[in-house]
Amino acid sequence: MKTKVMVCSFLFFIGILVPLTGAIAAEGSIQIKGSDTMVNLGQAWAEEFMAENSQVSLAVTGGGSGTGIAALINGTCDIAEASRDMKPQEWEQAKKSGHDVHEFKVAVDALAVVVHPSNPVKELTFDQLSGIFTGKIINWNEVGGKDQKILVLSRDRNSGTHVYFLEHVLRKGNEKGPEQYAPATLMLPSTQAIIDEVSQSDSAIGYVGLGYVSPKVKTVAASKMNGGPFVQPSKAAAMDKTYPIARPLLFYTAQAPQGSVKAFLDFVLSAKGQEIVETMDFVPLGKKE
Amino acid sequence: MSKIDIQNLDLFYGPFQALINVNLAIEEKMITALIGPSGCGKSTLLRCLNRMNDLIDGVKITGKVLIDGENIYENGTDLVMLRKKVGMVFQRPNPFPLSIFDNIAYGPRTHGNMNQAELEDIVEKSLRHVELWDILKDKLDYSALNLSLEQQQRLCIARLVAVTPDVMLMDEPCSALDPVATSKIEELMAELKKHYTILIVTHNMQQAARVSDRTGFMLLGKLMEYGETRQVFTTPKEIKTEEYITGRYG
Amino acid sequence: MRRFKEFLIEKIILLNGFACILFVILIFFFLAKDGLTLFKTVSPWHFLFGTLWNPLAEPPQVGILPLFLGSLIVTLGATVISVPLGMACAIFIGEIAPRWIRELLKAGVELLAAIPSIVIGFIGMTMLGPIVKNLFHLPTGLTALTGSLALAFMAIPTIVSIMEDAISSVPRSYKEGSLALGATHWQTIHRVIIPAASSGIVAAVMLGIGRVIGETMAVMMLTGNASVLPKTILEPVRTMTATIAAEMGETVRGSEHYFALFALGLVLFVITFFINLAADAALHQKQK
Repeated sequence: MKTKVMVCSFLFFIGILVPLTGAIAAEGSIQIKGSDTMVNLGQAWAEEFMAENSQVSLAVTGGGSGTGIAALINGTCDIAEASRDMKPQEWEQAKKSGHDVHEFKVAVDALAVVVHPSNPVKELTFDQLSGIFTGKIINWNEVGGKDQKILVLSRDRNSGTHVYFLEHVLRKGNEKGPEQYAPATLMLPSTQAIIDEVSQSDSAIGYVGLGYVSPKVKTVAASKMNGGPFVQPSKAAAMDKTYPIARPLLFYTAQAPQGSVKAFLDFVLSAKGQEIVETMDFVPLGKKE
Repeated sequence: MSKIDIQNLDLFYGPFQALINVNLAIEEKMITALIGPSGCGKSTLLRCLNRMNDLIDGVKITGKVLIDGENIYENGTDLVMLRKKVGMVFQRPNPFPLSIFDNIAYGPRTHGNMNQAELEDIVEKSLRHVELWDILKDKLDYSALNLSLEQQQRLCIARLVAVTPDVMLMDEPCSALDPVATSKIEELMAELKKHYTILIVTHNMQQAARVSDRTGFMLLGKLMEYGETRQVFTTPKEIKTEEYITGRYG
Repeated sequence: MRRFKEFLIEKIILLNGFACILFVILIFFFLAKDGLTLFKTVSPWHFLFGTLWNPLAEPPQVGILPLFLGSLIVTLGATVISVPLGMACAIFIGEIAPRWIRELLKAGVELLAAIPSIVIGFIGMTMLGPIVKNLFHLPTGLTALTGSLALAFMAIPTIVSIMEDAISSVPRSYKEGSLALGATHWQTIHRVIIPAASSGIVAAVMLGIGRVIGETMAVMMLTGNASVLPKTILEPVRTMTATIAAEMGETVRGSEHYFALFALGLVLFVITFFINLAADAALHQKQK
């Protein structure tokens, strides 16, 4: 009985101490936090970078773009990974906290619109996509398919992908537009869930990162303009900017990068860093703009 | 013919033999008491008569128990009918956590569909039988658990009366009660004797002497002596009986 | 010296005890602080009874009615499935099964409780979803029913173990009394044992519901998360828990959306609080 009590109170104090010591230990390393889309990519960069620079340690965690940006503003991370732009409100908060936030484009993610392999629809314009995802178009026969209700799939709101698709496809680039995902849209928690659902359901449509496309689903060619040109999603098409649904992946730092943070950023933007982008199934930045 | 005729009854709990070759004839409309020290098998013997021992894992019984000439250990005995005929009152009053009415109506409802008027009739008669009606007639929907222990035990007897048994088995029915309550239950038993064959297990020898017509003395699983109560208590045949009733052990 | 040790240990226990209460109060306080901030800009009426959940719109639409009904329909479905099953299982374990089957089943039920909810979600997605889809000829297997089925599996261990406790703790004398009156085993179970265990049974149901309504991972994976007002159990729905889990990561701190999620958490907290309170009341209820 006595020992039990001792053990319990011991654990209680440990519970208080561990977070404290954790915070102390973290000072010597670079904290990277944010977008779940980018967490694996960040990890790959960090591993390669640490292999070359053993004195620097990096810790990469996910949680979502918003979580990363909030952490940056609170000063609990050095680099925020984001798959969407910082919002005006967040810029304001950062300024209030005395930060001089810098934004860096580190890679590109092309989004593929996918349907069931048996679906006869081959191409869709942004107008049609917007109509489908906002619920104005509800039957496949309105866009040249079978007479069948459309099952619309999206990533959930915790995903930068969700926001990007909303602002650039549903709202056709007008970021503050009135369009919204239809209430009946299924919000799935992961890209893999969208792939699974599309492969099982012949009336489904969804969007996924290019790296997730598999033979179980069919990609649809997209066009920004009515009437084309329609482009199938591919890395090449994303790099030469002919494919219209591609978004930048971003790093944010609280100040102009210095020391090891700058070294890491330079590494990410180097040829070797961009090679890693490609192996992780994202699209490299390509030639300097 | 005796009401109950126990022949060559042996009972084993696993390897332990709790009853050894018991032979006993119980007469109708009399009170028969079983006495003996703790663990002598008197409660076990009682529980053989409505086959309550069947509930215990690992029990093996051989021999015969004839009730009205029928062996209740015969294959195909209807336990429901047997227990309707041979009712039991337990050591601790065990009314169900239901209303007083539902406690009494429990048996009749179990054994057949009765309409409300019939049930009310049975409840009244049964409660009158145990002299509870006047006290409880306005409290029939109260929980039975709020009654005093004596009233609970009376209620349990009334619950039994409601299924119109022939035989009542009473397993130390007064051991949880105070002396005043005990004497009231004993009075009730004298009344009940007119209608039922009663078998009572008790380790209170005065009680056995007061209420019973016949007494059996048990020791270590054996029925040592059986006879008229007066004879057993005044001129016991067995030395062990005499030692027990004079308080040498027990 | 020994006195001092005794004194120290006592105080440490006291401290730990108060720490628990303090944490609960702090959690509630922070939840309320951020949650109630929402009502500076949104009326409680629009929040509770608004039918559109579009927190990314300008201005944000934060009506939680579809989410509340989503949680309700999934929870009701899971309750309807798990309570009869759990009750039958508890009665079987507590009253009918021979000893070795009883031990086996108890171990099985405990094992079921040990399955992480994400694993149930995963199995639900790959097995249950397609079955529901094909059985009812639906466009998708991600429906309230799918979530209900998975949650029922999660609630069953809670329900079974508490109900079984309640049933086993019914005094043996009730059972004997009933059998001695000539009642059959089944009559004894449903007329005496179940009524005698009723407070424990109600508590088991309430705690099962509490488990279901607070569950997040599996529902997020299985219910499709579409924030529509549900008409049938065969449609996708979005629950309150899934909404919080899915949206917290990307929301802008200090935005209306952020506060709306805290307010949603507050609603959930209040609901589970009352469910647990009801369970507690049932458990400690004295017979009349």
